[in-house]
Amino acid sequence: MSFASSPAIVRLPLWRSRFVLLVLLAAFAVLVGRSLYLQAVDTDFLQMKGESRYSRVIETPATRGRILDRNGEALAISTPVKSVWAIPEDVSAGPAQLARLAKLLGVDARELQTKLADAERDFVYLKRQIPPETADQVAALGIPGIYQNREYRRYYPGGEVMTHVIGFTGVEDSGQEGIELAYQKSLAGNAGSRRVIKDRLGRIVEDVGSVRSAQDGRDLILALDGKIQSLAYSALKAAVEQHRARAGAIVVLDARSGELLALANVPSYNPNNRGRLGGAQLRNRAMTDTFEPGSTLKPFTVAVALELGKVTPSSTVQTAPGRLTIANYTIHDAHPAGALTVAQIIQKSSNVGAAKLALSLPREEMWALFHEVGFGAQPDIGFPGEASGRLREWKQWRPIEQATMAYGHGISVSLVQLARAYSVFARDGELAPLSLVKLDGPVTGKRVIAPETAHAVREMLELAVQPGGTGPRARVMGYRVAGKTGTAHKQENGGYSAHKYLSSFVGLAPASDPRLVIAVMIDEPSAGQYYGGAVAAPVFSQVMQGALRRLGVAPDAPMRPIELPGEGEEAKEST
Amino acid sequence: MSVAGYVFGRRDDYKAARSAPAAEYDRGLAWAALLLAAMGLAMVYSASIATAEASRYTGQSASWFLLRHALFLGGALAAALAVFLAPVRFWQGVAPWLFGAALVLLALVLVPGIGREVHGARRWINLVAFSVQPSEVMKLAVVLYAADYTVRKHAVMKSFRKGMLPMLAVMLLVSGLLLHEPDFGALVVIAVTAFGLLFLGGMSGRHFAALTAMLTVGFTALVLSSPYRMQRIFGFMDPWSDAFGKGYQLSHALIAFGRGEWLGVGLGASVEKLHYLPEAHTDFLLAVIAEELGFAGVAVVITLFVWIVCRAFAIAREAAARERHFAALAAQGVGIWLGFQALINMGVNMGLLPTKGLTLPLMSFGGSGLVVNCVAIALLLRIDWESRQLARGLNA
Repeated sequence: MSFASSPAIVRLPLWRSRFVLLVLLAAFAVLVGRSLYLQAVDTDFLQMKGESRYSRVIETPATRGRILDRNGEALAISTPVKSVWAIPEDVSAGPAQLARLAKLLGVDARELQTKLADAERDFVYLKRQIPPETADQVAALGIPGIYQNREYRRYYPGGEVMTHVIGFTGVEDSGQEGIELAYQKSLAGNAGSRRVIKDRLGRIVEDVGSVRSAQDGRDLILALDGKIQSLAYSALKAAVEQHRARAGAIVVLDARSGELLALANVPSYNPNNRGRLGGAQLRNRAMTDTFEPGSTLKPFTVAVALELGKVTPSSTVQTAPGRLTIANYTIHDAHPAGALTVAQIIQKSSNVGAAKLALSLPREEMWALFHEVGFGAQPDIGFPGEASGRLREWKQWRPIEQATMAYGHGISVSLVQLARAYSVFARDGELAPLSLVKLDGPVTGKRVIAPETAHAVREMLELAVQPGGTGPRARVMGYRVAGKTGTAHKQENGGYSAHKYLSSFVGLAPASDPRLVIAVMIDEPSAGQYYGGAVAAPVFSQVMQGALRRLGVAPDAPMRPIELPGEGEEAKEST
Repeated sequence: MSVAGYVFGRRDDYKAARSAPAAEYDRGLAWAALLLAAMGLAMVYSASIATAEASRYTGQSASWFLLRHALFLGGALAAALAVFLAPVRFWQGVAPWLFGAALVLLALVLVPGIGREVHGARRWINLVAFSVQPSEVMKLAVVLYAADYTVRKHAVMKSFRKGMLPMLAVMLLVSGLLLHEPDFGALVVIAVTAFGLLFLGGMSGRHFAALTAMLTVGFTALVLSSPYRMQRIFGFMDPWSDAFGKGYQLSHALIAFGRGEWLGVGLGASVEKLHYLPEAHTDFLLAVIAEELGFAGVAVVITLFVWIVCRAFAIAREAAARERHFAALAAQGVGIWLGFQALINMGVNMGLLPTKGLTLPLMSFGGSGLVVNCVAIALLLRIDWESRQLARGLNA
């Protein structure tokens, strides 16, 4: 090396070396200063910026409250389930694995592949609400990119029996129908929130702390009695099938408290499996449908007349010749009779008698009582879709309308309204508010008619279920029953159908100290029989008997088997 | 010997050091480099777990980057050992050839089919089992070449035409090739190293001033001519004005520093590495260190780099004192290179400099960089070892 031996020629300037080193060290010193600034001074600002990027407040779902019957039986409960979702881009699985996944989830393998092929999406549900055991099996497949969420599924142990009252929730766990909808807020509770740190893919990596804990929904205890409800539903269903009817509904009220002990409709559906659900099954007829009640309204006409002092139960009304013509319209009785007492008008269900009685009353007074017992207005139970029915302003009433309204035509009511109106007779003239939820005891109502009037009508209603009345099949062994049949021609194309009937029975028991009001409605019985006394009264009898026994109500009549009248012996009502 | 004397080198200290060499080789330097590499291995693993687990490319294996980095480190240590065994004069002899080979690689990487394109940049040449980054090779080659050049042209160093122009021409060629990749960061490191060595080798002060002015104008022009570079410049000046756009990467790096505070959130506990901070295991490794190990971790890294740079210059002075001019310049070249690249990388991480594609030497993920960085350290150790042998009166 020549330069090594000639040091005189090569001379590296030492100061430059020192200068360069100094510059580098100075730069390192600046870095130390900057690092100190970032890590000791500016930390609050930077951490705040950081939190805005990856600290998130997420919702912690509240568990939905249970719905229980008055005895604590569960009618709706939330069970934990899993929902399976995927980030399509991250999923890597062989065809065999995908096939197994599809089988576990119960979805079409090709559909699954289509979902996973959509790399544009960051999030896709593969299947929602699967049982935890299946979810575990899915997890065991160990396919990357597939995740699970914990959710709750609503389960209804009562199934089709309770469903029109309870309703159901949608997939987001919010009420869609019935009680689930009406009490959504208190059942759902309040979702809590917690602060978490999420990675950029949205996965929670750390819990920073709870901001607000979730408030679980409150359990709801209904007035409903599960056993009475089951009995009501099965009796109704049997009757609807036996009489090949389109539909039916039944309402059971506790007369003392106004509590709704049972409410059932046929056709019904299973709320746990709502795959194929039609409008007819969904309809809560007792609550949301109205119909022309027919003869079941006559007691109210009589009540008005008694209240006004126009008649006494033994006053007579001439119903011969079984026809009454008012302005081109003729009212008929099915079995023309002669002079009938007011009590017999109810017992025999005479249209002409009721019409004549009505025509002697001021329109205003008649309207007032109908209105006060709840017709033409929503019952305000707090149930979604309560029907108000139709009760026209009295000023518009023409005489023929007043006459037909006397026996329940030209007016429409829901079955719940009808049952509630009958509670006036059961409560000695008071009207109590209805309640869907369990109450502590009797409630005070609003006086609508005098106790004497209520007693008098009740006695007439007792006559109506005795032999010679229209509803002897409504009788219950060991209890005195009071009630009224109804057989109304259905409205069709603006007129009345000759062969389509709506059969009903509304009654109460025990008549000496009424405890229950039951209203039954059977729509279009088409197996031959159609009189309310033949179609609806037996349902009433069966349910009333079971319900009274279940409630331990003391009998007020001798325990003697009921002798049913022979064919043709019972009185036929005319509407 | 005083600290200042040790760092900046007083004449009498040399004598003291010369008279009684303590060890066979510079243990402090070797340990500093090994410590950085070990810390780098751990931090690359920590910073890459989330990325590796989420990527299909890595087969969702958490240790994908760790295994490769460890493999690279093993290779780098083997290469370092081989380099340490070769005499310094061998490197002086092959310097021009090595530089030529690096130039060829830089040209080859631009050929489609040979160079692999990633994110719009052509920086890698695929070999059978791994890929090579020619710009990293060039960093090492330019140190040797510039040192050799300076020694060879020492007599005419003050002349512009004979001393400076040839180097300028070669640098323009290198710049042209690097800008085609593009790899602006490597260009800056290589240019600074080359002209830094010329400056240390005695080039005319006037020429150096003129060159500095020219380079400043040149870089400015380059920056202004490309909207892509412009964006990077303005993104660094105020990352919060467009924190989800141009300032995204930097803002997350700064958040990482802010979260780390004095002692860090703990090894493995970084949130920024969870897909927020891009390039967490390569260019922005320091941000993860800052978040997980805090200012303490950053201070350790800076201290170790300062140590390495100081040792490089001290070794150079020792060599210069023994008239081993190539060795002295090569040592300083390594010091400038590793020091400057570390400075830039850290400055970028802390938001002091515009974002460049530069790794943290000895620490960041990347095989080529790791190998050449370790080789550079080995070169320093060899130069020092030869000096120590001479001090003992032995022939190196």
